[in-house]
Amino acid sequence: MTRWFEDIVIDELFDLGSHHFTEDEIIRFGRLYDPQYFHIDPEAARHSHFGGLVASGWHTVSIGHRHMVDALDAEGERLRGLGEEPGVSGPSPGVNRMDFKAPVRPGDTVHYTLKVTAKRQSASIPGWGLLFNTIEATNQHGELVYHAELVGFSKLRDYRMPLRVRLVMALTRIPVLGKLLASANR
Amino acid sequence: MTANPITASRRHYEDLVLGEVIDLGQTLVTRNIIIGFAQEFDPLPFHLDETAAKASLLGGLASSGWQTAALTLRLLGDSFLTRIASMGGLGFSDLKWKKPVMVGDTISGTATLSALRRSRHHPERGIVTIDLDIRNQRGEPVMTMRLANLVELRDPGLPLEAAQ
Repeated sequence: MTRWFEDIVIDELFDLGSHHFTEDEIIRFGRLYDPQYFHIDPEAARHSHFGGLVASGWHTVSIGHRHMVDALDAEGERLRGLGEEPGVSGPSPGVNRMDFKAPVRPGDTVHYTLKVTAKRQSASIPGWGLLFNTIEATNQHGELVYHAELVGFSKLRDYRMPLRVRLVMALTRIPVLGKLLASANR
Repeated sequence: MTANPITASRRHYEDLVLGEVIDLGQTLVTRNIIIGFAQEFDPLPFHLDETAAKASLLGGLASSGWQTAALTLRLLGDSFLTRIASMGGLGFSDLKWKKPVMVGDTISGTATLSALRRSRHHPERGIVTIDLDIRNQRGEPVMTMRLANLVELRDPGLPLEAAQ
């Protein structure tokens, strides 16, 4: 969420809302990015083991991402409404796993949820924390459509560089000492 | 089960070779492609607006990571998935966005078939593991991931071990 790293609560469940998938948009996404016959041709798709047209898993996931972006915005607005300054989220380094569990067919409504299952301060990027997010998508029958484990970044509110780092930075600003420290670090 | 007329002439599970490397070709990532995808799926300032993008961590208009993945999927579809008896994807793991893809970049890459195994519950299905390595025009890695995709067997009666 667009909250500061410190304010993110482990295992709090966020409702990201639902999306209704139409045949037209399934085919449009398939033609652009995943032109396998069961994503673009309803007639040919009948011969597949799906027995009909299904959405590309990447389409379902991309829609889920859109719902997450919108939820981050909404959370930021909610905090501003309370007179608080919202936190800052950063780019994602990746996805640990994504399991497609059930196909999405034209007319299906998919519901998305997000949960942060763990968090820790980044060792490589000072001032930022890593979030371990789980996104789950379910259809109107309650069947799991996909389960995803993603990594995200969130900024720390109360970050203050360690005294040692601040001291070294201050010392390197003194010209002669800066050169000495730089050569000592080589 | 009758043979699938759509995939009958395509490569089946038995035709895939462990370690096979597929050249994915290349694609140019234009301003229109970036903004079009971002408006629908990832409406963040650094994917939508050049001025906002210049002021961001990324330093310029960059493609959504999900778009880089979708463009890669298209390359894989054209060069491999639409040429085999694919039954769709099971998912993926270890997706790493290593470097942003900027407007005007050309991405290309390879797909390596890193594992082949039979489905335990469905004798007519095989599972191919595909390792993707995507790079920009300078040869720098921008994304890697590991996909699992189902493939039809031509001869589902084949004993589990014999088809390996």
